[in-house]
Amino acid sequence: MFEKVLIANRGEIGLRVARCCRDLGMRVVAVYSTEDRDSALVRMADEAVHIGPAPARHSYLNIPALIEAALCTGAQALHPGYGFASENPDLAEVCEDHGITFVGPSATVIDRLGDKVSARALMAEAGLPLLPGGVEPAAGLEEARALAAETGYPLIIKPVAGGGGRGMQVVRDPGELAAKYRQARGKAQALFGDNRVYLERYLASARHVEIQVLGDRLGNLVHLGERDCSVQRRNQKIIEESPAHGLPADVVRRMGEAALLGAKAAEYTGAGTFEFLVDDTGDFYFMEVNCRIQVEHPVTEVVTGVDLVREQFRVAAGLPLELSQSGVAPRGAAIECRVNAEDPARDFLPTPGPIEEFTAPAGPFVRVDTDCFPGHRISAAYDPLLAKVITWAPDRAQARERMRRALDEFHVSGPGVRTNIPFLRRVLDDPRFADGTHTTSLVADLTSQEPLG
Amino acid sequence: MSAGDETKAGDGPGEREEHLADLLAVVHRTAARLLAEAGTPPAGLTVRAGEVTVEMTWPDPVRAAAPGPDPSAAVGPAPGPVHAAPDGTGAEEGGEYIRAPTVGVFYRAPEPGAKSFVDEGDVVEPGRQLGIVEAMKLLIPVEAVTDGRIVEVLKADAAPVEYDEPLFAVRPSEAA
Repeated sequence: MFEKVLIANRGEIGLRVARCCRDLGMRVVAVYSTEDRDSALVRMADEAVHIGPAPARHSYLNIPALIEAALCTGAQALHPGYGFASENPDLAEVCEDHGITFVGPSATVIDRLGDKVSARALMAEAGLPLLPGGVEPAAGLEEARALAAETGYPLIIKPVAGGGGRGMQVVRDPGELAAKYRQARGKAQALFGDNRVYLERYLASARHVEIQVLGDRLGNLVHLGERDCSVQRRNQKIIEESPAHGLPADVVRRMGEAALLGAKAAEYTGAGTFEFLVDDTGDFYFMEVNCRIQVEHPVTEVVTGVDLVREQFRVAAGLPLELSQSGVAPRGAAIECRVNAEDPARDFLPTPGPIEEFTAPAGPFVRVDTDCFPGHRISAAYDPLLAKVITWAPDRAQARERMRRALDEFHVSGPGVRTNIPFLRRVLDDPRFADGTHTTSLVADLTSQEPLG
Repeated sequence: MSAGDETKAGDGPGEREEHLADLLAVVHRTAARLLAEAGTPPAGLTVRAGEVTVEMTWPDPVRAAAPGPDPSAAVGPAPGPVHAAPDGTGAEEGGEYIRAPTVGVFYRAPEPGAKSFVDEGDVVEPGRQLGIVEAMKLLIPVEAVTDGRIVEVLKADAAPVEYDEPLFAVRPSEAA
């Protein structure tokens, strides 16, 4: 194992990784932007390096600064967390060049799976089912029209270099195609520096279900079951759970097998997630692979008892997986709610500002991952995630009740600060969520009704 | 030492005293650094060891010219790898700092064994190269931004530096 690890991230995931380092007896190097100089992670770390000003491109995305910080402090490994440079193959490659272990898949694997076109091609070859659409990026509007006619409407235009649900455009009829196609290319260029897009059949009412996989450097692979992430607002997940309620066991089993086939084809190492869409007949389709630890990883940890970040470190250190597929035994049900600093009454506008009061829920089978505390300032420079609340119970109904109680206990206040907790409560109370029959259209239905807040 | 070591349940009295002494040393160093980097002398300074707080107040919301620590913020110890805090000489009335443009390694001379770009007491003009910060084989020049005199060179040659760390204390000509 490593003696010293640099955490190339911030916020709750930075703290989550730091805690794992402590558990494993490894020293922690935090990097921080000017904005984060008083963060909980900086306070907890053994060493902290100021790497740049608030804008992420000058700090958390600044690869030379991250590498210099690792070299200056003698960190042997770099954990990228999620977001920022976590899926940047250049970071993985430069780490390798400087003798720093990147805690994640190799640059080659990240590169191949990060490009949605090559990822789809690889998975199709491995036998995973894909939605009808263009495996090759649409080269222009005419080709897009031809592809769209083949694919059928509604369809979705996605950035080839995208991820995290950003920059997608849903096209409901041929009359919208030209404008949406141009918009999608423009957005893809602005967000990802790559204007290539591809087309895919759009399932308006589907479930978003993903499989967590772990692979070591000796070729061993396991999956740790599924997570249902169907509660999304504008392709951003809000509530996740495991298992996927009501999904037939044979569907879950086949999805797990498909994910392992895909992981084997990609020669995947570390923690990764295979995302699928499941239609109302139980057919599932591969969407993408996330080559990082995910925001929603705690629900899998809670039901399986496996510390995924610990496994990431073990794999990075060249150790074999300690668990086999037969040893993975999910138990009970877990739900995660993302508590964001945003105002549902004002179209979920982010609400940065100082936190004066912060009371997180607690009690049996309640986990809260957060880096907030009274006196912490919510930055306008980064995403608005304040905390993740995870509840576990022997069954989903109890986990949901426990979550309702936990959210009632959660209190955050400060000048101008609002949270999405009232909206989370509304989702939990919605009959479709309560009985587990909801799909990815649930939040759109709720937000189109009376004012929120 | 880590700020996370603030309170260790079960420490004995001797260990606790030693721990507090360490804590105060970190707080002192942090305070010295803040004072040095603040640019304008504060009206008040509070040091609280229990919660590891350094609080500085100004009569008006004066900020240092360069982006740096918010003087009104409560700062816990953020021990960098290489913090040799400036001794504050340059923080005298009208003093300014030339700061590191990135995290990296600071060099005072164009190559090993060569004469330094500048020494203490040298008069400099805008654009004059004062040093280099190397980050991943990239040599980033550190330059003067005003006419003035180098009061103090705050970092040793080949020392690792963090982003925004003061490298030179400069007294501008009009203040000299």
